[in-house]
Amino acid sequence: MAALLGTVFPVTFTGHNQLPAKFPSRRRIVVKSSTSSDERQILFNRIAPVYDNLNDLLSLGQHRIWKNMSVSWSGARRGDKVLDLCCGSGDLAFLLSEKVGPSGKVMSLDFSSEQLAVAASRQKLRGRSCYKCIEWIEGDATDLPFDDCEFDAITMGYGLRNVVGRDRAMREMYRVLKPGSRVSILDFNKSDQSVTTFMQVLVFLTRRCGCLICEFMFPKANNLLGGFGYCKDWMIDNVVVPVATLYNLAKEYEYLKYSINGYLTGEELEALAMEAGFSSARHYEISGGFMGNLVAVR
Amino acid sequence: MVRLSRVMLKEAGHAIDKTLSEILVCPLSKQPLRVCEKTKSLVSDTIGVSFPIKDGIPCLVPKDGKILGEDGDDASKAS
Repeated sequence: MAALLGTVFPVTFTGHNQLPAKFPSRRRIVVKSSTSSDERQILFNRIAPVYDNLNDLLSLGQHRIWKNMSVSWSGARRGDKVLDLCCGSGDLAFLLSEKVGPSGKVMSLDFSSEQLAVAASRQKLRGRSCYKCIEWIEGDATDLPFDDCEFDAITMGYGLRNVVGRDRAMREMYRVLKPGSRVSILDFNKSDQSVTTFMQVLVFLTRRCGCLICEFMFPKANNLLGGFGYCKDWMIDNVVVPVATLYNLAKEYEYLKYSINGYLTGEELEALAMEAGFSSARHYEISGGFMGNLVAVR
Repeated sequence: MVRLSRVMLKEAGHAIDKTLSEILVCPLSKQPLRVCEKTKSLVSDTIGVSFPIKDGIPCLVPKDGKILGEDGDDASKAS
């Protein structure tokens, strides 16, 4: 996950807006979106060394709040056996281990060996006793190496968007979850409704501030959808990618734009969960609709 | 004593926690796995595939499974 500056610019994405044709783009690199699981595995292996630093930088540390919320929504309690999918460098796994304690168990799965290596070294460095209950596993979210009805809770942070075969992953989550237990899936929110929130913030800024900075950043403010889509692409092209360029990872973070455009809306995620067999599913928008968390009950 | 032996197994870098090996199943057949000390791997006898353990981390991505030969040794990749 590389979270954008959601608290400063609470935008969300429709996935259908393009940069205005006449807008002079500073970047003319055409990036082919990664479609295969292998390509994404290579990508996440490559960004592993700087993943945590960029998450902190690009979200101004806000990703920690979102992850804490997601863990709370999972319903994980002391002594539970829980699963964190697409665990990356382990943020959610560490939070889960604090919830379940030394008497619980946290299974953390990811398909990137490099991310897991970072997670394992963080576990050793931190040294808290509750972290000893975490086990790292290299695996595939669409073919889980667990028995049926194994877990009291499942979390997935900024992973489902990157999975090839989301319906299969959802069915696997349903299979390994105990009846009555929850899955909590945090990711970027893809919604049209948050445009209203964004425009309200935009109007407030341009009227109250009236400075050149706002005029520079929101030149299409009079065009609702154009301004909205432009801002999203502008943020990725002019904030995220330049920061990633410092780490020689520009191409990898340009992938973010395509993955968000190709993701599902909250309603579509709820439908996906229901189709997989969950008895209920609810998608919550957080951080002004910038992020979203799906909670589904088996 | 149990905690000490678990620590020693972990720090060996190749073996895994016994409890962990009992929780894990084959990602393809969903049947139990057997720890093979000789090859430092997890073996699915049901489908004749082994999965490596690297630095104490079980690698259970289906495409990384290796088909076992007739003598039980790795013959080729599962995929």
